[in-house]
Amino acid sequence: MERTEKNSSAMSSAESLAVIEAMINKAKNQFSENGHLYLLWGWVVFFCSLIHYLGLRFIKMVEFQYVWLLMLPAVLYTIVYLVKQKKQQKVTTYTDEVLGAIWMAFGVTICISGFVIGQTMGTEFYKLLNPIYLGIYGVPTFVSGMLLKFRPLKAGAFFCWGMAVLATFIPVQEHLLLIALAMAVAWIVPGYRLKQRYVKQS
Amino acid sequence: MFKDLDPILHTPLRLAVVSLLISVKEAEFTFIREKTNATAGNLSVQMNKLKDAGYIEVVKQFRDNYPQTICKITPEGIKAFEIYVQNLQSYLNAGN
Repeated sequence: MERTEKNSSAMSSAESLAVIEAMINKAKNQFSENGHLYLLWGWVVFFCSLIHYLGLRFIKMVEFQYVWLLMLPAVLYTIVYLVKQKKQQKVTTYTDEVLGAIWMAFGVTICISGFVIGQTMGTEFYKLLNPIYLGIYGVPTFVSGMLLKFRPLKAGAFFCWGMAVLATFIPVQEHLLLIALAMAVAWIVPGYRLKQRYVKQS
Repeated sequence: MFKDLDPILHTPLRLAVVSLLISVKEAEFTFIREKTNATAGNLSVQMNKLKDAGYIEVVKQFRDNYPQTICKITPEGIKAFEIYVQNLQSYLNAGN
């Protein structure tokens, strides 16, 4: 690649193709996903749903629902992390751009569906909230799995969808356990695997 | 009748830069240097030629007080690359 213009004219068609192929492969194998946010959100949602479930089931206190306020510092941390990461990023791929958009759309959908379910179901919102959320969790997880060609995420998405269907057959009180389980399979395990792959690359 | 290969693209380093940029949205100069194994001086000269031809866009900016050079391919660059590959294919097909 360090050849000067003088000898560059000697480049044959096969050499040109080899250069194109090598460069496209180098760009293609550029994984900027280190799994950090999958792990953060996986553990935060896992922890909140489990604490909420245990509080309701064994201590019988509804106040345990306030554990979900932990999402606020997680949102702030995510914003700071993404801004910092954008500054450090040496390359932006089209995959990065689409992934950013799908996760942003996911965040908006989660907020809007929470609002709509709360408005339409009133005090009985909890009957529908978790099954719908499980279904929504599967969407960005599946698209990310497809774009990153990463099977654990695709499997995680199907697991979320399976949990959403299962939620309609089991008592509402157990829904929080399904959320915790879905987080472990769809975000925590793939998060560690992505981290492993990222460390291997660098 | 064979068409001439675009002389702007028909050099290893310039072709490598365009092939890399066609696969990503944008990239920093240091990333391109890392992937092409070129020296900063040589890469800079070749990138200027691509820029003068209108094939790439180079934006120099400051990030946290450090200079940063962001490069991206232009629509003209994409078109030129597509034509280059088509012409290359006709050469290769003729050879078979």
